[in-house]
Amino acid sequence: MGRSTKTVKRRKGILGGLALVAVVAGLCWSLLVAPPDAYQGEVQRIMYLHLPSILTAYLSYFLVFIGSGMYLWKRDNKDDLLAHAAAELGVLFTALTIIEGSIWGKPTWGVWWTWDARLTLTAILLLIYAGYLMLRSSIDDEQRAASAAAILGILGFLDIPLIHMSVYWWRTLHQPPSILRPDKAPWENVHPAMLTALAISFVGFLLLYFYLLSLRYRVGEMRQEIKALRLERGV
Amino acid sequence: MGAWGYVSLAYGIVCGAILMYWFLLKRRYNAAEAELKRLRSSEAAANHDKS
Repeated sequence: MGRSTKTVKRRKGILGGLALVAVVAGLCWSLLVAPPDAYQGEVQRIMYLHLPSILTAYLSYFLVFIGSGMYLWKRDNKDDLLAHAAAELGVLFTALTIIEGSIWGKPTWGVWWTWDARLTLTAILLLIYAGYLMLRSSIDDEQRAASAAAILGILGFLDIPLIHMSVYWWRTLHQPPSILRPDKAPWENVHPAMLTALAISFVGFLLLYFYLLSLRYRVGEMRQEIKALRLERGV
Repeated sequence: MGAWGYVSLAYGIVCGAILMYWFLLKRRYNAAEAELKRLRSSEAAANHDKS
């Protein structure tokens, strides 16, 4: 194993360790330190998962958008690898967001699911990027698969502003944003102990995300190297 | 189900799903690493034989 490979592995290990510490700190703060909500009670603690999950998913789709755009422009495989890895993680975090929302919805709204504008648009987002992954695996020619997926990856990103604005544009059951509001700063709207729990949880999700992304990206990179070596040897 | 039941269910599913994804990703990572190592070493052996 080369020295640089060892350094990269050590960095990944450090990032993974930091992510674990931050996630555990976020869990402890969210479940033990943050006070219960005045109206919703203990069930509001799901917010400390729900909001970081969807923000991580948005970040992931932003990377898909950037990677896809760069791939269509420069035709560099590394951009496509980034977009592919980010799309897979985006699907994971979007699915988790929908599940958490559903569990939170049952005691607060009385239903597991409703065809509310924000929920429906989030479900569409999940379907678009699940479709992105299926599209990639259904086309044999790698360049064509990457190009088609890049176009879908860019178009799919347009759903995110719709999701964010849906609570303003339509009458929805989903509450308007508490943190990302244009009229109020987060600390004017949320109790400091709740905001701290949310911040720690979000940092934990971010570190975990970048750790998983680095692993997933390396898997894609190694697969390409394997394919190139096999081609070279005519296997 | 009480409020803590819903909270536990949400936290349990998220932790379980992320752990499961990490475990499967690690398996894919290790498999790709082993395959790459095998291909590189067999290539090095072939080059050595040629020289």
